[in-house]
Amino acid sequence: MTKSVDIGVHHVTRVEGHGNIRVRARDGVVEQVEWQVPEAPRFFEAMVRGQSWEDIQTIVSRICGICSVTHSMAAIKAVEDAMGVEVSEQTDRLRMLLHYGEQIESHVLHVGYLVAPDLLGQKSVVPLVASHPEQVKTIIRAHRLGNHIMEVLGGRMTHPVTIKPGGFSKLPTEETLRDLKQRLEAVVPDLQVIAELVASLADRLPKFQRETEYVALTHPDHYTFYHGRIASTDTKETVDVHEFESVVNEYVHPQSTAKWTRWHRESYAVGALARFNINAGQLLPLAAKTARLFGLQRGACNPFLNNVAQVVETVQVVEHSIQLIDELLTRGIRPETPRATPRAGEGVGCVEAPRGILFHRYAFDENGRCTRANICIPTGQNHANIQKDFEAFVPQFLEHGQDQLRLWMEMLVRAYDPCISCSTHYLQVEFV
Amino acid sequence: MRAPVCVVGLGNVLMGDEGVGVHVVRRLAEEAADWPQAEFLDLGTGGLTLLHAVAGRRKAIVVDCARMGATAGALRRFRAEEVRSTKMLLGASLHEGDVLQVLTLARRLGEAPADVVLFGIEPAEVAFSGKLSEPLAARFEEYVRRVRQELVEPLGDNHA
Repeated sequence: MTKSVDIGVHHVTRVEGHGNIRVRARDGVVEQVEWQVPEAPRFFEAMVRGQSWEDIQTIVSRICGICSVTHSMAAIKAVEDAMGVEVSEQTDRLRMLLHYGEQIESHVLHVGYLVAPDLLGQKSVVPLVASHPEQVKTIIRAHRLGNHIMEVLGGRMTHPVTIKPGGFSKLPTEETLRDLKQRLEAVVPDLQVIAELVASLADRLPKFQRETEYVALTHPDHYTFYHGRIASTDTKETVDVHEFESVVNEYVHPQSTAKWTRWHRESYAVGALARFNINAGQLLPLAAKTARLFGLQRGACNPFLNNVAQVVETVQVVEHSIQLIDELLTRGIRPETPRATPRAGEGVGCVEAPRGILFHRYAFDENGRCTRANICIPTGQNHANIQKDFEAFVPQFLEHGQDQLRLWMEMLVRAYDPCISCSTHYLQVEFV
Repeated sequence: MRAPVCVVGLGNVLMGDEGVGVHVVRRLAEEAADWPQAEFLDLGTGGLTLLHAVAGRRKAIVVDCARMGATAGALRRFRAEEVRSTKMLLGASLHEGDVLQVLTLARRLGEAPADVVLFGIEPAEVAFSGKLSEPLAARFEEYVRRVRQELVEPLGDNHA
């Protein structure tokens, strides 16, 4: 039984940073447990200052290649809020559908490419092609569908170009939507295969529980990713998104250059498990059935179960996407030309990124030039919670020894599906 | 039907030279009408989206910023098997990209094009900026020309 560990996971691969794990314990006494992460890409906020209100969503889509639709959505909602623009029901539904494309893409990617290898004892998805070929192909089909939705509605597989203040620059045809519906229906059995795979491995997730506060959007009509007010598992009161600063309460902690957040407790969590814990009662039938397959219930507080909640949510957004397409086709796609005019003002946009609640705030002058920006990303809101998880996790699992502890701590970070240093992707090679 | 060739630009255009691949492909996309067999794709920092972009093609041309130990602005044409990634990934996040690993995955899945050519451009400055640095800006037309030459190559050529 090991009582001493010295873990330091340091990676110097990116210009703007990455996460480090630091743990030291001697003779059963934990001396240091730190989740160290540098500041999130705040420089993007400087980048949009001086830019036109019509371009903000395009620029911020470059913050992240995995959450590019989500950043665009938060931005466009903030811009329209500032300009007093109301969008049509058709635009609203199409945007939700596009947003769901990214949820599918990101959740399947995370569960299939990062979590499954962990649970199957592999370093990456590549060896799984040989050991689990059918499952990997299933994962890729589902992932590809998410990409396809983004391509046909957003105009590109990533970094969408069709989202404009007031609507879309290009609308899908009804035929395109019918095709999408068929593809969504066809992916349902694939999602069941993925759910059963994860369910068969879920007992390999560490049995760790820590009560914390969960924060997510909530809406009376549906399990929301796009509309609503800010809710918490610690209070019945909800908060208007315009007051998001009173929820995140950003502060500087000496161990991290990234700001931490806290609301009713010393930390809170955002993401799939937070949304599930707040909105599980609104899951559609297949998603609710998937949750039952895992025995996932409201009040779950094992952070590793965020991965399970992602599987449930993937089914949820596929089901809801099919409903949205039915509603769109019933009404028929009507031609619309986005119309909006600039004015001085300030606006807030809030949506659920795959990895948690995301806030954008912008101020504009009378010409529609951005004068101020504030972007609060979900990973930033999870940092303090990861730290608190680490502090509880290490003493409890110390006896498993350095290697196992290190793997579990890396898995714990991965469970949060963090967006760390996603702004650059250059190759780094040597010739052989 | 998918175009048999895809020309993919990778990188973040808000991070200076990191976005050079996207800049090159955007420029070539302006002359897309001259290349009916090719599709020009700005995949930004989409990571695994590359897997879907190359699937079912006969040839993929990938243009990306690359730290190769060369002088700033240098362009090198190579194939995946000629290099070894020296990138260390934390593996904590989907947001870390390794193009070579994505191409390996495509190969294992049997989805990789017969011919995959990479153009790496050594950065001078990867930092918060919407523009290329001077050394890269000065050679930009050369990059466009080199990638354009690759489009002239007959399909099925699989030799370095």
